[in-house]
Amino acid sequence: MSGVAAEALTTDDAALCLRAVGKSYGRIRALDGLDLVVPRGSVFGLVGPNGAGKTTTFSIACGWLRADRGEVDLLGGGAFDPARHRGRVTALPQDSALGRDMTVVDQLTYLGRLQGVGPREIRGEVERILKLVDLTERARDRIRTLSHGMLRRVGIGQAFLGDPELVLLDEPTNGLDPRQAHSIREFVAAQRGTRTIVISSHNLHEIETVCDHVALIDRGRVVMAGPISAVTGRDGEVRIGLAEGPVPLAEVRAALPGDRTEWDEAARTLTLRFQEQAGRATEDVIGAALHALLAGGARISSVTRGQSLERRYLDLPAAAPPPLPGSGAAADP
Amino acid sequence: MFGPTPARDIGLVAGFELREMLRSRRALGVILLYLLAASFLAYLFVSVLQTVQDAAKNPAAFLANARTRPDAPGPGRPPGVRRGGPVFAPSPSDKPSQGILTARGSIFNALIFSQFADAETRESLEKQPPIVLYYVLTSFFFVPLLIMLTSAETVAQEHQSRGVRFVAMRTGRAEFALGKALGQGALLALVTLLAGAVCLGIAAWKLSDFTWGTGLESLLVFWPRVLAYSLPFLGVAAFCSMNSASVMSARVFALLGLFALWLAHHAAGLYTGSPLESWFRVLDFLTPYAHQDDLWRPTWSVVGPQVLVLAGLTIGYLCLGLLFYRRRDL
Repeated sequence: MSGVAAEALTTDDAALCLRAVGKSYGRIRALDGLDLVVPRGSVFGLVGPNGAGKTTTFSIACGWLRADRGEVDLLGGGAFDPARHRGRVTALPQDSALGRDMTVVDQLTYLGRLQGVGPREIRGEVERILKLVDLTERARDRIRTLSHGMLRRVGIGQAFLGDPELVLLDEPTNGLDPRQAHSIREFVAAQRGTRTIVISSHNLHEIETVCDHVALIDRGRVVMAGPISAVTGRDGEVRIGLAEGPVPLAEVRAALPGDRTEWDEAARTLTLRFQEQAGRATEDVIGAALHALLAGGARISSVTRGQSLERRYLDLPAAAPPPLPGSGAAADP
Repeated sequence: MFGPTPARDIGLVAGFELREMLRSRRALGVILLYLLAASFLAYLFVSVLQTVQDAAKNPAAFLANARTRPDAPGPGRPPGVRRGGPVFAPSPSDKPSQGILTARGSIFNALIFSQFADAETRESLEKQPPIVLYYVLTSFFFVPLLIMLTSAETVAQEHQSRGVRFVAMRTGRAEFALGKALGQGALLALVTLLAGAVCLGIAAWKLSDFTWGTGLESLLVFWPRVLAYSLPFLGVAAFCSMNSASVMSARVFALLGLFALWLAHHAAGLYTGSPLESWFRVLDFLTPYAHQDDLWRPTWSVVGPQVLVLAGLTIGYLCLGLLFYRRRDL
């Protein structure tokens, strides 16, 4: 890819941009014309089943693998080049081992120095990272004596050495205990706006909690992408669970003319789909619907905005499981 | 403040490589391997020299011993000839001069001197302690093999563990591979020097006429030549390591590479007079083997250019490796 072409496709607000990227391993097509734009300052989730192409996408973005075709641009500087991106782009690779016989401090110092952290600053920087990943007490221990979770934390730590603009994390909380995973999620979420973070994960709950944008990848293509709120329908869909009792659908439809309502008898869930309009927020729709339901004598058991990312993911045609027998649904445009 | 430069990165990678090898005891293993090989071979050689020396001190007793207790005839050995061969039994007319005998009194020296037609080289080598010449000869033979066995894994190991991906985000592949090669080069310099020192130590222990001053002086003359000769092989090992996905494949690749060099060197001799001879001569020139003989010469006007050629070959092999390495997937 020429530098000129790379600059041409880059927009100022994109930290990472992949256009029509293809990659094959022999006869296996890992990426099949993948398009992906990661906005600057976002925490971006990359979701997909095993073999969907997430790690290949990461590897191409980081320059570890060469794309067979397509264009890649990082931070407006073209495809990854250590001369241009050193210290600006960092990554946590999947299944990559650090030097087993070096201490944690030695390893972080080495990587930090290579990245361009000065000899005077490196000590303080390593101490900051060790504190961040809660490994200060194991700083002088050899890498090979660390548990899997600790190794993962060292990996995460090295990705935040210095002040990178774009951090790519492949399965960052894989192997961490719930407390450590929570701590890492908190840290990553706190980075929003200060730098761009791309996370690849199987943990859809994690992606939904931490990320503000998401792309769903399947069979080497992006099948759905956008802000989490749009993908989950958080700002265009409300689901109201009703306990046994009356279901005043007519009153609800009368209160929300023009919006789509669906009643699932088996799940006893009323789904409202609407478009946000000027002067009418989601909260207004929820208020109107609840008012109508309560006036009709309905007993409300739950109210949720949109669908979980997991539900969206499972509803995708490529990944959808076969429908359960007897799951009847009534729809009304 | 100085920003990151290729030279700084190469230095960082080389320093880390050395420290990692020392921590992992890999370096210790390599050093032990070299030193054990040097000790064993030096001991064998010095034992032979000692036999000659003893014979020189008391030729009458030596000859009497040889005459009264001849070895039983064995296959391929005529009656009355000792296992060591007749070369170790000096004739009664020889004068028992230790200096001459330790320098000239073995078949080894004869072998070394006989390959040089010019008297200047022969005379120069005659003045060197035989243990140093033996160290050089065995190094020329064994060090390339040891390099292929121990140095070919360095970059390949990083590919196998994918640890290279941490580094590839922070420096170029060329800096990484050259840094690794530099670390290996530093280790090679250390172990070849130590191996030479061990040879001298064994000679000092076993030979009564050995002098440390002469030995060290001679070692310091020949050790840089051993190193210069070894570096192109390190370049070949780095080439193989850069372009292998695993440690095992790198070692196999490196041993095949060594065989290919040996073949290229000897092919020229096989095709003498054929239309392809000039091509094979060029091919031979591109192997370190072609430059070995001139490293024995006494004058730097001959040795210096060969050292430069060997350095050029090292750089050439490394650059060729990088040419492929920069395009491969990590």
